[in-house]
Amino acid sequence: MNPLTAYHMAALCLLGIGLFGLLSRRTLIGMLISVELMLNGAGLSLVAGARLTPAVDELGQLGALLVMGLAAAEATLVLAIVLVAHKRTGTSESDEMSLMRG
Amino acid sequence: MQTVLAPIAYGIYLVLILAGGFLAVRSPSLVRALLGLITTLFGVAGMYLLMAAPFLALMQILIYVGAVSVLIFFAIMLTRDPRGEAGREARSDGDRKRGLQAAVCGLLPAVVLGSFIWKHRIAALPLKAEVGLDKLGETLIGPYALAFELISVVLVAAMIGAVVLSFERRKSR
Repeated sequence: MNPLTAYHMAALCLLGIGLFGLLSRRTLIGMLISVELMLNGAGLSLVAGARLTPAVDELGQLGALLVMGLAAAEATLVLAIVLVAHKRTGTSESDEMSLMRG
Repeated sequence: MQTVLAPIAYGIYLVLILAGGFLAVRSPSLVRALLGLITTLFGVAGMYLLMAAPFLALMQILIYVGAVSVLIFFAIMLTRDPRGEAGREARSDGDRKRGLQAAVCGLLPAVVLGSFIWKHRIAALPLKAEVGLDKLGETLIGPYALAFELISVVLVAAMIGAVVLSFERRKSR
């Protein structure tokens, strides 16, 4: 197996694990953790594509850096949303939250 | 020397990533799941180092391990269930079915993508020389200037949004 494929497979493992976690977790925080896993896989794949192919090196590395920045922004917002939802519904589980109460 | 050591290092990082990822999605305690996430982040940082991108590896540790995981830890502790322990995911009877469905839906895209990557794999170049920080900085204010500015706007918007969301409205009514 050549290095490029090896790195891509590692990124793919992260994507699979993250998707599995996103679907199987029931708390919002657990879902957030799974999303972070998937974003890491994306960054790894980007950097591998930039470093081991004739692509421009800086663009791939900075792309991964921008992914990290977006992940930080997303984590901040999700934290605020989870806090507000927890305050209003008294739970952080997505199933109970989606129940409608009249 | 390098051809022997690089696969070993790759294997170690891959084990870190897989073990951490498994812990992150399966552990009933969210604090342990966070620990798994941090392990995975370190594994990915190691892979960046292995690809001779030390700046990204350091940024990974600085941003993810330093900032994002602390944020998630705050979220775990602040959304504590008044009855139970902090950050524990309660078990219920639908869990088995749910896990099975999630495994199918999560693995299917991964397998499809993986088969594509395997089929269209191209020969990797030998690792290029390390890109200096000066080059990265020049690209950031050259071709990537718009993205650089936009990410600042996104970060500001996220911060303002977080403050507005968690702002306690004064009880005037």
